[in-house]
Amino acid sequence: MSFYFAIIGTKDNPLFVHEFGTSKQGGDGVARFRDEARHMNPFIVHSSLDILEELQWGSGSMYLKTIDRFQNSHISAFLTGGNIKFLLLSTPDLPPIATGLRPPASSSRTNAAFSSFNPTAPATEEAIKNFFLEVYDAWVKTIMNPFYRVDAEVNSPVFRARVGAAGRKFL
Amino acid sequence: MPTPSSPPATLRKPAYTDTGGSLVLPKQRPQSPSASISSLPFRSNPSISSLYASTSLAGSIRSSGASTPTTDTIPGGSTLYSDGKSGSTVANGTAGSPEVRTLIARAFAPHVGVVSSTDTEALLRERGFSGGLLELIRPYGESVSGRVTVRDSIGASRTWDDFGIRFVGLKDGLSSPRLPGSSRPSLESRSSGANGSVGSGRSKQSVDVPRLGGDVSQIEEVVDRHLNFAELRPSNPDYLSESQPDLQADSAKTSTDIPLRTVSPFYTLYLRRLLSGLPLTPHETFSHPVACVIATSSRNPAPIEEFKRLYTATNTGDDRLPQWVNNEYLRYYVLIHDEDNDDIQKSVALYEQMKRHFGLHCHLLRLRSSQCVPSDDDSTRLPISEWMTAGEELAAIHQRETSHDLEDPTPCLFESDAAAIRTFVRELVTQSIVPGMERLCAQWNEQVATRRKGLSGRLLSVGKRWGFGLSRNSSTPVPSVGSSSYDSLQGFYRPDTPEALMRKLADYAFMLRDFKLAQQTYDVLRSDFEHDKAWKYYAGANEMYLVSTMLNTPQPINKRLESIERWLEAAVHSYVHRCDAPFYALRTLLLAFEAAKARGSLSVDDAAKWPARVLAMSLTGPIGRALVMERIASCYGQHRRPGARRRKRALWSLMAADAWAERGKTVQAEQALADAKMAYGVVQQVPPELSFMIPVLQSLQERIVSGRLDALGHDEQVDEHVLEDEMPVDPIEEVVVSEELGGMRQPRRGLLATEGGGSGEMEGVPLSPVRTRSTDAMGDEGFV
Repeated sequence: MSFYFAIIGTKDNPLFVHEFGTSKQGGDGVARFRDEARHMNPFIVHSSLDILEELQWGSGSMYLKTIDRFQNSHISAFLTGGNIKFLLLSTPDLPPIATGLRPPASSSRTNAAFSSFNPTAPATEEAIKNFFLEVYDAWVKTIMNPFYRVDAEVNSPVFRARVGAAGRKFL
Repeated sequence: MPTPSSPPATLRKPAYTDTGGSLVLPKQRPQSPSASISSLPFRSNPSISSLYASTSLAGSIRSSGASTPTTDTIPGGSTLYSDGKSGSTVANGTAGSPEVRTLIARAFAPHVGVVSSTDTEALLRERGFSGGLLELIRPYGESVSGRVTVRDSIGASRTWDDFGIRFVGLKDGLSSPRLPGSSRPSLESRSSGANGSVGSGRSKQSVDVPRLGGDVSQIEEVVDRHLNFAELRPSNPDYLSESQPDLQADSAKTSTDIPLRTVSPFYTLYLRRLLSGLPLTPHETFSHPVACVIATSSRNPAPIEEFKRLYTATNTGDDRLPQWVNNEYLRYYVLIHDEDNDDIQKSVALYEQMKRHFGLHCHLLRLRSSQCVPSDDDSTRLPISEWMTAGEELAAIHQRETSHDLEDPTPCLFESDAAAIRTFVRELVTQSIVPGMERLCAQWNEQVATRRKGLSGRLLSVGKRWGFGLSRNSSTPVPSVGSSSYDSLQGFYRPDTPEALMRKLADYAFMLRDFKLAQQTYDVLRSDFEHDKAWKYYAGANEMYLVSTMLNTPQPINKRLESIERWLEAAVHSYVHRCDAPFYALRTLLLAFEAAKARGSLSVDDAAKWPARVLAMSLTGPIGRALVMERIASCYGQHRRPGARRRKRALWSLMAADAWAERGKTVQAEQALADAKMAYGVVQQVPPELSFMIPVLQSLQERIVSGRLDALGHDEQVDEHVLEDEMPVDPIEEVVVSEELGGMRQPRRGLLATEGGGSGEMEGVPLSPVRTRSTDAMGDEGFV
């Protein structure tokens, strides 16, 4: 799995973007988007805001689970109290890439796991939820910075490190 | 092409770096790459523009509406396919528009075979109709003049303005006998006669080019030709001249209220060609003949015997269709009277004799035999068949391109003849075909369908399912008594089995637009076919069940969305994975999508999933891909507040622009890009919060410009100095930019590879400082 995590401000402006791969099932935590898919990611996430803006009124919870899909990518969303949106795009890796570094026996199993990737499975939803909560934690602490303005980009390396750690921990 | 020694003046900052502005490069080009390949005068033939009228003149004669196949005066003296407008009114694109419904209903029209004697063909060839009687009457069949009243299964009458039939050669829908070397004797006689006649290339086409649709690659090619033509049109009214200011004005007015871009006429054309010339297959009977016109002229010394001979040919002879076609279709006998040479008294007497022999299904068609020239007073051009197949249209375009004759080769006929043909068609439809179909529908419904649908039918099918009674799994082609038997070896039901009759009933009901009866019958058939593992039949029944359901039921279908998706899934899956028939899968998805759109009640997110599946399964070629993307974008664009899908629309438009740019279709790419920008709210400048888009938008724009320059470079290498003055930037810079952008590298390379001739000669050109400066200012990926 490859993940593209974006924090979107109130004017649809990206505040923070982070790409990472799965660390579960022997993943090395490196995103493996194909080249042409990679530059589409911001656009796909941006287009999901349409769906998010519709769904945000229907649910009381901040975690909205999987809200949209584009081709084989799924987008999960989390809404903060300040109308800042966390969006996580997850794309299953292509089998040939996934098999590259692994022994055949385990790769066939992981391939099966990837091909049967189910974004609505409770375990997946729970993992993404935990990831979002951890990031939210770090996010709140980051924007407590007195010099932070609303909708300003976040460049803090500490925050990025914490997002990366959350990704390794849960996804 | 700029050379390394170009003066710095040519490197001035190009106007298009302002992403909100329009591309200022000259669009006029004398020739297209394809024309230079064929090294034949492409633009020199003015009559060719009429071939592209259906897409290029969109809007100008759109109002001429559905009844125009008989229109006589078309602007510019060009008649070729201007009646395509009736289809492209679909392009108005409002949700719930009745036009798509009309398009679908008209696409599935009864097919009427045409068989004529050699003397008839000779008579018409003398008049310039090298395709014979079929060519003459075909355009008039597509829209019957006046209203047609159809009585449905419960006895209620409905009146249709746009009812039509399709005149076809009896074997047009069959692919194999048309292959070179294996043509049937009837064809050979037709072709050998045609080759010796006055007709030009058209006679050859009628033999070489099968009037058979269902070939996605040909559809792609036709649309591609239309697109190329649109690229070339010097006075392009569509984009730069008018719509760009409009768009800007609109978006400046209110950025939230986005004007809806109409569906591109190319998409409509694609859809129409997709539904033209449905192949003759066992699993659906739309292209099976409902009737057959048998024609002889008054020149024939023994007309009655000739009629009998032709009739026998359709039963047992050369014109006999394969055994899975129900051969009990109506025969309609036409005597063509030669108005100029023969005695009308004699013909009338003969006609009376015909009526005694063959019953009421006869007609006396009076035509003049002298050649009609366009300068004659009451002459009119033969209308162009709106539902011609992609192969035919390609052949017509090719012929126009290669011909040095500046005249429009469309044959003319006298207004009186046209009126006579219209009367003939109307009589044929209202007095013979429609009543005949109604009668058969009622008969089959009573004898076959009701029994199956009723309690005893269910019991019977249950009984069969449990193995009592007849053995259904016997694969012998013996017609089993009173029971269904799917011949799994040859893969069809014999035409006299209840299943085949019911399918025919359903198709007849659909063609008569009695969607309720069709829906009920398809529903019964679905379970039967599934049980028999007749997968192609099963897929077909699901497909048509889906479409007729959407055309029939007035209540919203949102509630039944689950089941609709299940049917769709069943149809597509069976077509693709069990029958290897991707054409039908594509047809199913697009039909279902358009029908759902026409209802306007389905949620846009759900409907947009279906064409997205077309893309995911890559059922189309690159042209269709881009068209479908545009369609999805416009579909999202129709979704109004609350919950507008502005960003989704922008995304799909952007992808369409990317796909167009890759194909070098700069006009389309520009339109799609403009649409995307408008939806993103880019007026003059990209809004600061969307600055991450700038690299992608800009590189796309540059690809459009370079694509345009490539096309220029192909054509005008001779006038290099002229171009140097005009060209603000050279295409090699694109490589530099795209390498900096990283993500865009892959598609760009694809473009370079395909257009290799234009870029290969530009190596060693110094990098433009303009480019590097502007991208530096942009920042790399926009944000971190």
